[in-house]
Amino acid sequence: MTFIDLLHGSVVEAFAMVGALALRAAWMKADARRPWLISGGWLSWLGAVIVGQSVWGGVLGIAIAVSLICMTGVLVVLSNVERRAGKMRAPRAAALEPSDRKRVMWRGWLRGFLAGPLAGTAALGVGLAIAVCLPGPPQTRMVMGGLLVPFLWAGGMAWTLSDNKIIRAACVLVGVAAVSLGATFLKGSIA
Amino acid sequence: MSGQPIWPRIAPGFVRAMLAGHSALGLAFAALIWLVCFTGSVAVFTQEFARWEQPVAPLTETVTPEAANIAFQAGMKKMPWAENVYVGLPTKALPRLTVEASTHAPDEREALWLADSKGNLLQQAHDRWSEFQGRLHFELHLPRPWGGYLIGLVGVALLSSIISGVLSHPRAFKDAFSLRLGGAKRLQEADLHNRIGMWGLPFYLVVSLTGAFLGLTALIVGVLALAVFKGDVKQAYALFLGPTPIDNPAASPPPDLTTLFAYVKRDAPKAHVDYVVVEHPFEKGARIVLSASSPGKISRGESYVFGSDGRSLGVLGYEKGTLGQKILSGVAPIHFGWFGGPVVKCIYAILGMGLASITSSGVAIWMARRRDKGKPAEIWERLWAAFIWSQPIAYAVTAGTALLAPPDAADKLLLYVWGGTTFAAVLLPAVMGAKLISTILRTLGGIALLVLVGVHMWRFGLVPADPVALAVNGFVVLTAIGLILSTIWRPHLKPQL
Repeated sequence: MTFIDLLHGSVVEAFAMVGALALRAAWMKADARRPWLISGGWLSWLGAVIVGQSVWGGVLGIAIAVSLICMTGVLVVLSNVERRAGKMRAPRAAALEPSDRKRVMWRGWLRGFLAGPLAGTAALGVGLAIAVCLPGPPQTRMVMGGLLVPFLWAGGMAWTLSDNKIIRAACVLVGVAAVSLGATFLKGSIA
Repeated sequence: MSGQPIWPRIAPGFVRAMLAGHSALGLAFAALIWLVCFTGSVAVFTQEFARWEQPVAPLTETVTPEAANIAFQAGMKKMPWAENVYVGLPTKALPRLTVEASTHAPDEREALWLADSKGNLLQQAHDRWSEFQGRLHFELHLPRPWGGYLIGLVGVALLSSIISGVLSHPRAFKDAFSLRLGGAKRLQEADLHNRIGMWGLPFYLVVSLTGAFLGLTALIVGVLALAVFKGDVKQAYALFLGPTPIDNPAASPPPDLTTLFAYVKRDAPKAHVDYVVVEHPFEKGARIVLSASSPGKISRGESYVFGSDGRSLGVLGYEKGTLGQKILSGVAPIHFGWFGGPVVKCIYAILGMGLASITSSGVAIWMARRRDKGKPAEIWERLWAAFIWSQPIAYAVTAGTALLAPPDAADKLLLYVWGGTTFAAVLLPAVMGAKLISTILRTLGGIALLVLVGVHMWRFGLVPADPVALAVNGFVVLTAIGLILSTIWRPHLKPQL
């Protein structure tokens, strides 16, 4: 890391900090300045990304700028810790509770099966179908399909663990797995 | 304090259902997610730890192609059993010239030598602890490929928790800057959980997705091979391995690497050769790969492939190939934060620890909720405190063992030490409560880290030859002090207006 890198990093950090402080100011007080502060904050963050991109290049610059924005946000929040008054039960104190489901063993096991192996199989099926059936270079299709697998699996997991109608989730996942894997094996070639 | 909500209103029933799923998944995988986040935050500094373990090794900013070739040829004389050779060229993070040789299973054997800037081999390298902590992160020291699969599954669970966490938090923007501590334990933990979670969201999405992808790659490729290559996994991998010379096991002297550097220099003048891999160096069918990274790219570098006669066979395409190859090349650097120097590494470590703390606060919220309902989960509170606070001690003791143990000590020694320390800590819940466990383990963890720095100084002096070792020692001392102070110090908080 050179002195010039540090200088560029400081400029990006300054944009990130101005953005975070502007958004915090907008959050603190709802007055006429609020829309300006919100748009200014986001524009400042956009500025951080643009500066990062122009200094360090496309992907690298965006990655560094976004990392700095995340870090700055955490710092701004942590530097403004307040002490909660013991007796004060603000509306947010009455935050929503998780839904209270009846504990039925077979439903628990079924839910685990849906979230794990079945959602995984369905996600794998869609990823492979993309790798095998879509147009384009095979390497790109494989990587795109491969990256989609964890994302789809995670989405399926979140859904099946939350949805109270687990039979519906089971039917959809079985259908998706059957169609996507069927298409993959039917085509049977990556070319 | 805040105005009109800018987040769309979400039905309370949906939020409650999402919270139920988020809670169930988080609790089921809490220990594994926490361990993966903690080990990953440490693993960001793997290269720095390798330098810290052996701070007497010569630092080499740059080497000539001739020096790299001298080191390679000398390595082949010392390790004539080599089947694969890795010549590490100096980089900013790891300014060392190294030659590493290995053989395939079942008679696995490997050795790593350090060389000076002229290519003279000086001494064997010792980076057992760096390797230990890295393997703990990416496969938990479980047999391959199962360890990778488990880590991939943990990545999926983490990604799923992030998705359900975002969907069950409709006030994300409204509460974006609110962090109130004190008062009810559950509200305090929820504030920490939600704020750190929201501000680190892009980072958490990226590391969990790339981590899950890296862990599940073998599984995805295996099923793909089953579907389109009649189960032949090699054909699936061949799409990414690039050109390969015709197999020829006839004996041949190790190839000369010097001219290959010139080829890369002509093709990519600004690129820096990071490493050279030579497969079957004593055969006519040897395959030589020079990996060269270009500035301004998140990439493991373009790979130039040569035959043993020095003839170019082409490139793998990590920087010049298809979009998929370019993305694949960037996955590991993006996951580990190895793309933007020490500042990005520090951000990754802090946000990674933030993710570990989110996991911990998620468990704390569940425990506090149980207490509020009059059904405290005391055993789980004790076990959780014992498990998470055992790791600073376990890491300090394993690192100390690596510094003190003879070089030929058993390979599994560090794993046994780490497992034994963690197991001993997890026995504490049998005799004491969660708060006492937390206090004792944090204090012991701090002391163990200070002792570790003492051991390092005893072995390598107060100011080691490698300045990075001094920086690591300084960071470890600060962490130790922080751990000890955290048992007695509470920050001053601004009163709520």
